[in-house]
Amino acid sequence: MDHDERELFERSIRAATSTASGAELDEQLVELGWPEALSTDAATAIAVLFEAQGKAGSTSSALDRVVAHGLGLPVDPGRPASVVLPPVGTWEPPGQLGADGLRVRGLATAPLAGSTQVEAVEVVATDHDSTRQVGVRTVVVTVSPSELDVRPIEGVDPGMGLLEVRADGARPIGPPRAVPASWSGGVAILRLALAHELVGASRTMLRLAREHAVDRVQFGVPIASFQAVRHRLAETLVAVETAAAGVDGAWLDLTPTSALVAKAVAGREARVAMKHCQQVLAGIGFTTEHDLHLYVRRALLLDALLGTSKQLTRLLGAELVATRRLPPLLPL
Amino acid sequence: VDLQEFRTELDRFLDARADELAPPFEGRGTLDDQMDQIAKVRRLTFDAGFARRGWPDSVGGLGGTSLMRAYLAEAVTYRHLVEPGLYSMPEVLGPTFITFARPELTAEMVPKLLRGDEVWCQGFSEPDAGSNLGSLTCRAERDGDGWRVTGQKVWTSLAQHSQRCVLLTRTGSVESAHRGITALFVDMDSPGITVRPIWTVHGTDEFAEVFFDGTFVPDSRMLGAEGQGWTIAMDLLPYERSTALWQRAAHLHRRLQDLLDQAPLGALDPTAVGDVALTVAAFRARSRSTQHRMAAGEPLGAETSIDKVLLATSEQALYDVVADALVTEVTTGDDLDSDRWRSEFLYSRAASIYGGSAEIQRNIIANRLLDLGRDR
Repeated sequence: MDHDERELFERSIRAATSTASGAELDEQLVELGWPEALSTDAATAIAVLFEAQGKAGSTSSALDRVVAHGLGLPVDPGRPASVVLPPVGTWEPPGQLGADGLRVRGLATAPLAGSTQVEAVEVVATDHDSTRQVGVRTVVVTVSPSELDVRPIEGVDPGMGLLEVRADGARPIGPPRAVPASWSGGVAILRLALAHELVGASRTMLRLAREHAVDRVQFGVPIASFQAVRHRLAETLVAVETAAAGVDGAWLDLTPTSALVAKAVAGREARVAMKHCQQVLAGIGFTTEHDLHLYVRRALLLDALLGTSKQLTRLLGAELVATRRLPPLLPL
Repeated sequence: VDLQEFRTELDRFLDARADELAPPFEGRGTLDDQMDQIAKVRRLTFDAGFARRGWPDSVGGLGGTSLMRAYLAEAVTYRHLVEPGLYSMPEVLGPTFITFARPELTAEMVPKLLRGDEVWCQGFSEPDAGSNLGSLTCRAERDGDGWRVTGQKVWTSLAQHSQRCVLLTRTGSVESAHRGITALFVDMDSPGITVRPIWTVHGTDEFAEVFFDGTFVPDSRMLGAEGQGWTIAMDLLPYERSTALWQRAAHLHRRLQDLLDQAPLGALDPTAVGDVALTVAAFRARSRSTQHRMAAGEPLGAETSIDKVLLATSEQALYDVVADALVTEVTTGDDLDSDRWRSEFLYSRAASIYGGSAEIQRNIIANRLLDLGRDR
């Protein structure tokens, strides 16, 4: 996309995410050509949509499309894609294929329950069937939604509309196929999308806290005039911009490690934003009468998907300590 | 020459001339050693054309993008050829000097700075004007076709090694605050200048007090117009937080790798190492975008305060891990490696103080980026 096209695309995506959510947003994204943009310019499509979605607190099933794209699975732009995601705090393939069928423990963002829209669900699985090969390989299998137990997740953020997906001994449609790209590539691009969404949610937390600080008067002055409050908000902006720089940088080399770093930084900085903004918003921010809690909930859940910041930090650190080698420097 | 070609050529040059470029001393060396080494690296890279890239023809440059300057600084830092803090002075003073000095003066002086024939210092802070720079009192009084300077500066890095000083002086009344400040370019061998180096906790005398007692500076050495000093200072400060910080990020990466190479088995806490690696990587990504904005000709401003906060956070986080992982080196080791780690740990404590303290940077962010209105 050139500069003008990108601006137009960004404006229309932002408008869609701020007025629609869920199935309605999915429809609008198809109308706006977002699925086509994903296949032609994934970096722009993902950065623009997920930051906007994070800012607006809206949801869609775009994450399923993103992982499909990352795995190299063919997707019909006009129909919803459904690819099972790993449970929170994990990043292994959500399926296990054995002699007794497919076991699934995972999540979905596409409308699987009570819907006829999705006819087939893709599950990436480790293949343990010793009759087919020696050792374990990663494959993708297709199953009918009717083979899966699907339950809406309430949890900390019911508004995200995540579904829990389980199956034991499910029968796949057709034989298992090799993953066209790679599971780690799928995880990497998911992590970048989640990192963008975390940046968006953090920006909104900062906006809400800033507005409150400027409006709220105590001791005869706006609380934004107190240095303790100003410095918390300044720290939050530093946190948000740190996360944004991390994820923008990761697109430049697009390795699994740089995507892990981007998500770990974005999760860590979102926690910083949560802490400071909640404190600045004080009492009102502790009620459901103010919107802050929606973004706090969303950020907690986004941080947990594909590994929390702390998990990823420890993983990266363990790798560095074992290999004693830093990943290649981001070039100028 | 594009950036990629520049990188390849420079890397080849640095490899081919590695013996000549290497420091002739072991360990971190004395300040004199470090300054001689920097002068040598500047001369060799200038004469080969590399240090002239990214600077305009009018100052002996060969044109090209400022990203080339950033890459040069990164490359010589990553190879342990120069002490990064001392090396970055031309990046801080050069761009603003070129904007505000008379063209004849820039044409005469800047090549000497870039080639390492001269060292310049920055006479800004005073004993009673640190964070509140606008309250400075070092006076310049009109005297014929020039100025007589009387007063004191402090924290002037490399003053005793410098041939010139970019000096902020009070030419209006003290009440005129930031309006009555004028910038002068002073020869450090002028009569009436006394330099008293100060020893820092990290074991060097890299900065100094500078006393002026009726020092004469001709009008031809004014930078900008009378009363324009504050504008010049405000133009310069973002440069303290651009190329110099990219170089600093390269230094931190290099030292993190050195830490991984040197830490004994079991001494590294994986979570702490992962956390600092994330922080340093994000700092580099942030500084990278600043380098690109600068190269695209965008004016740098208050947003570079974010870069400075990130530098301080990253540097202190790294050396906090160093202090835990290299306990012997930082506390009791008497070898050259230990001396270096210890010195760098102590220096890292200054990262949230120099160039505008962490608190001042947060004030700038609150005032100018978040528009929070007046503070109390």
